[in-house]
Amino acid sequence: MSEPTAVPDQNAPSGTLEGDLVRRARRGEMAAYDELVRRYQERIYATIYHMTANHEDANDLTQESFIKAYSALKSFKGGSSFYTWLYRIAVNKTINFLKQRRNKHHLSLDDLDFNAEHDPDLVSLISEKTPHREVNLSELQKKLNEALMKLSESHRTVVVLHDVQGVSHDEIAAIVGCNIGTVRSRLFYARQQLQGYLADYIKT
Amino acid sequence: MSETPDDFDDLKRLLKLKQHEVPPPGYFNRLAGDVVSRIQAGESGGRRSLLERIDTQWPRLAALLRIFEAKPGLIGGLATSLCVLLLAAVALVDRADQATDSPLAALPTAQGVSAGQDLASAVQLAPADDSGITVSTNPVSSLQPAATLFGSPESPLFQPAAFTPAGQ
Repeated sequence: MSEPTAVPDQNAPSGTLEGDLVRRARRGEMAAYDELVRRYQERIYATIYHMTANHEDANDLTQESFIKAYSALKSFKGGSSFYTWLYRIAVNKTINFLKQRRNKHHLSLDDLDFNAEHDPDLVSLISEKTPHREVNLSELQKKLNEALMKLSESHRTVVVLHDVQGVSHDEIAAIVGCNIGTVRSRLFYARQQLQGYLADYIKT
Repeated sequence: MSETPDDFDDLKRLLKLKQHEVPPPGYFNRLAGDVVSRIQAGESGGRRSLLERIDTQWPRLAALLRIFEAKPGLIGGLATSLCVLLLAAVALVDRADQATDSPLAALPTAQGVSAGQDLASAVQLAPADDSGITVSTNPVSSLQPAATLFGSPESPLFQPAAFTPAGQ
């Protein structure tokens, strides 16, 4: 079996090369895999959390994604970056989970950080509605998550990856396994849907 | 599907709220450790399940494995004993082959077949006796002439049956 090559990853943090960590992890060095988990845990968790809107489910799925990736490391050929490959595992796992639990969503939302109420975009968005900004942020958070959960899994995946996570169209196509045109069309449709669900909270 | 920059501007600003959602404090400090622990537990769990399967299906083998696990020197002792036994068996077979190389020379005479002689060699090698009965399974001695299957009628092996009803 060929060793994976180090595909340059613009998203990878600096430090030890990703390919080197992957090679060492394949040889069973847990310290190397621990480093890989630390490197990508926040992005993987966030993607899964935004797709499930449930912290406990996101925690389980994040751990399972990393465990599955470790057990499948030998099959990782290095054709894409480890980061893209890991994302694909996490997204597929989450979509399968959501399909099994269709219409049985239970929100368990993470807290908003301190910076939320000082974010100029959010402030400008809600300042005209109410003086009780903090309360309304929580309400807005709930409505936003409910609206996202109304989207199909494939549309939610695209909008979460692009508009929340900032992943490019090309990368989304590689992660989801479709062409860029499909990514763009899904993104457009998902935004239209969301805009309709959240019409009361968006100045149009 | 023409998307102008302002079409979804407010929606994009609203979606920024998602970026402010954070898991409980310290969550990411524990996550990597939890993942690695689960991987290591899964690996040792795989080994344990194999032992458990052996324990269920072959409890004696499992007990033997546990003894060997506790005293690794026993494995060497057992292996040595098996080698010695194998060599002894090979030597015995070799000697037996030499003894049976010329079976005719080793044939005992009819007089030689006595009660005290080894029963196995008597059954295998005894030639036809006076009555013509061949008792040997040896292909050489079984060529001896035999009168009938049970010997000749004059043979002392045959005795006339006498039956007297009770009361006469």
